[in-house]
Order: sequence, then structure tokens, then C-alpha cells
Amino acid sequence: MNHPSGPAGTDPVLAGLLAQIARHRPGADAQLITRAYRAAAYWHQGQRRKSGDPYLTHPVAVAAILAGLGADDQTLCAALLHDTVEDTPYPVTAMRQEFGAEVTGLVAAVTALDQVPAAQVSAACADQAAAIALAGDRRALMIKLADRLHNTRTIRYLPWATQVDKSRQTLAFMVPLARALGMDSIGAELESRAAATLKRRPGTAPGGLLAVAAALLPPEARARWRAEWLAELQVLPTRREQLRFAIQIVLGIGRLAVTLYQPAAAVRRAFGAVLTAATAASALVAGGWRAALALAATVLAVLAAVLWILHSHDRTQRLADLIRAVRRPR
Amino acid sequence: MKKKPPLRMTLPTQLVLRVMLADPAAHYYGLQLIDATGRPGGTIYPIMARLEQAGWVTSDWENPAEHITEGRPRRRYYRFTDDGAERARDALAQAYRPSKQPLVMPWPDLPGMSP
Repeated sequence: MNHPSGPAGTDPVLAGLLAQIARHRPGADAQLITRAYRAAAYWHQGQRRKSGDPYLTHPVAVAAILAGLGADDQTLCAALLHDTVEDTPYPVTAMRQEFGAEVTGLVAAVTALDQVPAAQVSAACADQAAAIALAGDRRALMIKLADRLHNTRTIRYLPWATQVDKSRQTLAFMVPLARALGMDSIGAELESRAAATLKRRPGTAPGGLLAVAAALLPPEARARWRAEWLAELQVLPTRREQLRFAIQIVLGIGRLAVTLYQPAAAVRRAFGAVLTAATAASALVAGGWRAALALAATVLAVLAAVLWILHSHDRTQRLADLIRAVRRPR
Repeated sequence: MKKKPPLRMTLPTQLVLRVMLADPAAHYYGLQLIDATGRPGGTIYPIMARLEQAGWVTSDWENPAEHITEGRPRRRYYRFTDDGAERARDALAQAYRPSKQPLVMPWPDLPGMSP
């Protein structure tokens, strides 16, 4: 298979990678690594990371991490090619012809490690890791760790639930593995990053809105509703959905407060309206500027919708259209 | 003693009850009801609070063993009380209104059909 080739100097990414490798191991085979880079660039063409970056940035970053550890030529080539077998139609036989059995074997070992089901990756897996380390190639595990390190550095682009999942897995499996292999600096970075992700609250604006909303409820009911909503908030995958969930709770807080306080029938109606307004006002103070922005956007959207409905010939039809558009799709 | 306000059978309330009556013995959590009914949380949670006050539904925190093994935050589960499901069925039956739409569609007035 022919991959386009040319002088290394024309590609700043490749030049940077080669410079990083040469800094740590002056005798590296730049030609072989350039070939692996071109093959990876060819096969990952058009693919993108969740961050929107070209996919190639990932294998290059993994190879750069390994270069910093003084990894050998085969490991660096395998790092550049580590996702091609799984995610692209690059035939294994072609890889073996172009890069030899050693690199291909490493790529196959990394791919096999990916396929260990997530459910099995628990505390018991430390033993499994030790077994793989003894039986197989220690270099495949190094690639896997560098792969996880780059994924952890870019984890903020993943949905929240996936972030939690991956971070738990990192702490349970990858950190002990790094320590076992003597890659202490990588283990330490993985540990601090995964722990920080797990500690981080899922979005301060939605959480702040919910706290404000719960504060308007009767004191004995506050803790329960706040805990219930924060728990539901955390399983929503995107920030957008979290914010939407929080705003919808805020919009209904008047009704909930009326139910829980059980005021006299005469006060009930006015009370709900006043509470909703009060929520909006206090969200500005307690929820910070993001919450305020979200509320302002909601108010503007409602105003726009009202104007849009009033300035039309068939008002009922428009209202029906609007309701249909706002409803969550099923 | 304050008199309990009657439970109004609003449309979303009926929706929630129908979803829960699909399996009256099961327990349901808030997001699940939001997804099943297609109504926002601002509607669903006040309804759950009213149903709880009326004594049709009761709610409890989930058993810690479950959410820890499944690796997610603790859910608050709602389920019918002993006579809750029966009262919900009665209320739904009473709230039933026959459709005002005619059962037979009017003959369409197609262009060129009438002279």
C-alpha cells in the first residue's frame, strides 16, 4: 500500500514529533517513524476526536508521551498505529508487510487490551494486569497507559457519565498498572486527573439553580428534594440537558412550594407567581452569572415566543407549533 | 385541623398515574417518569409531592447497595401505597371524558368534487 511521502520538514506536526524523539533518544530511526506517521495520517484521514481535532492528533500525542520515556522505535511506530486496526480498514497483513511482525504484534496486543470488557475492569484486574505484563509484551502496556493518559488529558470533551466511568476505571486499573511497570510519573498524573474529575461537581450553574430552588421550599423538605435533583442531574449526559433540567425545576418550583407549604386557598395562586419571580431574582445572586445568563435567556425566549404568537394570523396554530417544538423529542 | 386540598386530576397527573399503573408494584424514579411522560421536571415533581401528600404514593431512598454497585448517584424511588393503585384507577375512571371528536372523519372537500 502506498502512503503519500515527502520531506519531513513540510509537516510541522511530524517535525515536532521527530524533534521530541531526537531529544530523548538521538539514535532513533526517523525514517521508520516518518513512515508510521504517514500511514496513520492516511488511515485516520477525515476522522475526528470528540474535541473536534483531527484524529491524528491522538496517536501523535501518545507517541510523544512515549518518546518522553525513551521508548524504542517499534513502540513509537505501534503507538502511531495503535488505533488503525480497530477504527480504520487498514488490513493487518498490509501492516505486517510494511512495518514487520514486531510492530504489528504490539498493535494487536494494544487492540486486545481495549477489548477487555469494562465490567471486568475492577479491583480484581490488578492481578490480570500482572498476568498480562508477565506473559505478553510490557511495551503494549506502556502504549495502553500513554493512550489512557492522553485520553484523560482530553476527557472534558466526553459526556459526564462517560467521564465518571473512565475515571473510576483509571483509578482502579490504570494507576496500579503504571506503578507496577515503574512508570511513576504517568501513574501520578493519571491518579490526580481522575480523582479531580470524580471530585468535580457536574456543572456549577445547574447545581446552583437547583440549590436556590430547593431553598424556597419548607425547611424540612429542602434536603430531600435537593439531594434527589442533584442525583438526577448527575446522570444527565450533557451540560445542556443538565441546565435544561435545572431550569425546568425552577419554573415549576412555585407549584411544588405551594403543595408543600399548603397555604390557604386564597393566597395559593399569588404565592406561586411571587415564588417563581423570587427564584429568578435570587438565582442572579446565588447562582452566579451563568445561572443569571440562563434565566435571562429563558425570559427572552419566552418573550420572543409570546411576540411571535401574537403577531401571526393563526395564533392557535403557532402556539401548537411552539409547544411541539419545545417538547422533548421521543 | 387543616383540610387537605382535593387532588386535581390534571392531564399530566393522569399521565403519571397511567405510567405507574403499567406496573403498579414497581418503583419509579423522577427522571424515569419525566422520560416516560414527556413532561418536564417542573411538572412531574410537584405532582409526585401532591400524590405523596394524598397518600397514594410513597417515596424512599434506594438501597445503598444497589446504587454503589451500579456506580451512580442514589435515586429516590416512588411507588404506590397499599390502596394507592386502586384509588388511582378509580380517579382515572372518573376523570375519563369521552372524546368530543366525531368518530367518523367528515368527507374531505376535494377540489372539483362538488359542482
